[in-house]
Amino acid sequence: MFDRDTWQEIFHTLKNNKLRTFLTGFSVGWAIFILVMLLASVNGMQNGFTNQFNDDATNSIFIRPGTTSKAYAGFEAGRRIQLKNDDYDYIRKSFPKDIEHISSRYFTSASAHYKGETGSYSLQAVHPDHQIIEKTVILSGRYFNEADQANKAKVAVIGRKVGDDLFKNEDPLGNFVELNGLSFRVIGIFTDEGDDNAERRIYAPISTYQQIYGNTEKVNQIAMTYNSEYDLTKALEFSGRLEDLMKRRLKISPEDQSGLNVWNYAQAFSDISSFSAVLSTISIAVGFLILIAGIVGIGNIMVFTIKERTKEIGVRKALGAKPSQIINLVLLESTFITALSGFIGLTFAWILLSIIGPNFDLPAFSNPSVDLSTVVTATIILIIAGVLAGLIPAVKAANVKPIVALSDK
Amino acid sequence: MIEIKELHKSYQMGSNSLHVLKGINFTAKEGELVAIMGSSGSGKSTLLNILGMLDVADSGEYYLDGVPIKDLNETKAAKYRNQFLGFVFQSFNLINYKSALENVALPLYYQKIGRKERQEKAMKYLEQVGLKEWATHLPSELSGGQKQRVAIARAMAAEPKVLLADEPTGALDSTTSYEVMDLIQKINDQGNTILVVTHEEDIAHMCKRIVHLKDGVIVEDKKIKQVRVTQNV
Repeated sequence: MFDRDTWQEIFHTLKNNKLRTFLTGFSVGWAIFILVMLLASVNGMQNGFTNQFNDDATNSIFIRPGTTSKAYAGFEAGRRIQLKNDDYDYIRKSFPKDIEHISSRYFTSASAHYKGETGSYSLQAVHPDHQIIEKTVILSGRYFNEADQANKAKVAVIGRKVGDDLFKNEDPLGNFVELNGLSFRVIGIFTDEGDDNAERRIYAPISTYQQIYGNTEKVNQIAMTYNSEYDLTKALEFSGRLEDLMKRRLKISPEDQSGLNVWNYAQAFSDISSFSAVLSTISIAVGFLILIAGIVGIGNIMVFTIKERTKEIGVRKALGAKPSQIINLVLLESTFITALSGFIGLTFAWILLSIIGPNFDLPAFSNPSVDLSTVVTATIILIIAGVLAGLIPAVKAANVKPIVALSDK
Repeated sequence: MIEIKELHKSYQMGSNSLHVLKGINFTAKEGELVAIMGSSGSGKSTLLNILGMLDVADSGEYYLDGVPIKDLNETKAAKYRNQFLGFVFQSFNLINYKSALENVALPLYYQKIGRKERQEKAMKYLEQVGLKEWATHLPSELSGGQKQRVAIARAMAAEPKVLLADEPTGALDSTTSYEVMDLIQKINDQGNTILVVTHEEDIAHMCKRIVHLKDGVIVEDKKIKQVRVTQNV
C-alpha cells in the first residue's frame, strides 16, 4: 500500500489532471477551513465570556437591595430596603460553613487631590475580603487588612490610572492623597483588565468611611464567595436559603422579586457555559454537514474519473492488475487528495487565525484559536472522509470488466 | 500450449439468446503463429476474449500451458493474465499520460518486479521494437505504428506464454501494418506462441496457420506457407 510505485502512480495521475485535482480538493479544503473557523469562533466567544467572568470570582453571590413591589408584614409596597452592618454580621455568622469570604460594599465618589492634580473617581468602601471576591490584582504595595479595618485607618488602594493621573512620575505608595478633603495614605496600587474605568477606582476600608459619613451603619451591597467545593446544585441551594432568610429578616414577601436581589454567579456562568456548549455543538454539526458536501463532491468527481478512466482500468486489468490493486489505487488517490487539500484548508485557517486571532479582543469575542486536539480530530476525520469518498468509486472501478472497457473501439 | 474442447458461449440479448460459439475445438502448440479469421459476428473476438480470460465460456474446457482455466474469480484471472498472456489491441490501449517506457513497464509492476529491474527490462523490450530513442515520449507523440510497437513491447515485457493480438493492424495503413507484422513474425521466430485475430487476407497469410470461423464454428483450419515481410538470411 505504501510502496513508492503506488505513490508514483498517484502523483502521476494527479499531476496530469491538475484542474480536476484542484477542483476536487477545493471542496474539502474549503469545508475544513470553514469547520476550523467555526470552531475557532466558538472558542473566541468562550474566551470572551470567560474573560468577562474572570473579573470576579466565579463562586460569588451579590445581595442588592431594591424597592419592594408587594405589601408584606404590615408594610406597604414601594418601601426602599436598606442593608446595614447588622445584616453583614448576621450573614457572616449564620453561614460559617457556606461562606468563604464576605464583604460589604459602600459606593460613593471621591474628589481626589494631590499637589496640583485633581480628579473625580468612584470609591468603594469595602471589607478586606473584597480583594478576593473581586479578584483585585495588586501591582505594588498591599491591600488593606483586618487591622486597618479595625483601626479605621485612613488608607486607600488606588487604581493604576488614578496613580498615573494624580501622581504623574512620582510613586504614589506611601504618599498622602486628599479624598473629599481628608488625607489618606496610599498603601497599594491595583490593576484590572476590565474596562477603562476599572482602573479609575479607589478602595478604602468600610469602617473608615462609615465613620467619616456620620457614623452610618448603612451599606449598599453585600458580596461574598461561597465554599468553592460546592457544585451548581449546592450553590443554588445555598443562595436560595440565603435569599429566604434575608427576605424574612428584612420583611420582604418571599414572592417579591424587586425587594431584594440575590445574584448567584454560578447560575449565570452555567447558563453561559451551556449556551456556548450548544453553540459549539451546532457549529461542529454545521461544519460536518459542509464537510459531507465536500466528501460527496470528491466521491462525485472520483466516480466521473473512474468513468473517464474505464478504458485505462480495463487495460490495467488486462495487464494483470488485481481488483484489490485497483481499489487501492482509487482509495489512495481520493484519500490523498482529501488529506492534502484538507491540510491546506487547515493550515490556511490556522495561519489566518494566528494572524488575526490575537487582534480580536472584544468583550464577547477574544483570541479565536484552535487547539491541537481539534487539529488531530480534523485530520482523522479527513482520512476517514477520503476513504469514504473513494469507496464507492473504488468498488465501481474494481468491477470494471476489461472486456467491456476494451470493446469500445 | 493452448487446448480448448467443446467451447460454448451465448449472450443474452433481451429475451433472445445469441449462441456465439457453438462447440469450438482448437489446439495450438508452442511456437505457432495462428491467424483467426472470420467475418464480423463469426465469434472470433469472443473466442479471443475467452482465451484471454477477459470473458468466461458457458461450457467447455480450456487448458493453458497445461493449467486448467476454470472457476475464475477476478483476482485469479488477473494473476493468470499477468503470468500467461500478453495483449495487443487494435486501438493500442496505451495509457496516455505514461511515457512509452512506463507503459512497457506496467505489466512488470503488476508482477511485483522491482523498479530498477523493471526499467531495464522495459528498455530492453523497447529496444527490440526499435523505439529506444522514444522511451520518454508520451503516446500522443508517437505515430500509429510506433504506438502499436510500444503495445507489442508491453505485451512481451511480461514474458507471456501466449501473445494475443486482436486486429493489431486494424487501425494502421498497409505500410505500418507490414512493419507490425514483421515485428510479430520476428517475435514468433524467437519461439513465442502468437494468436492474431484479423479479417485481412494478406495479414493472415503472414501467419503460419489460418483458422476460419463462421457462425460460431471452425469451418477451416489449415497450415499455410508463411509470407515473410522481410526475407531473412
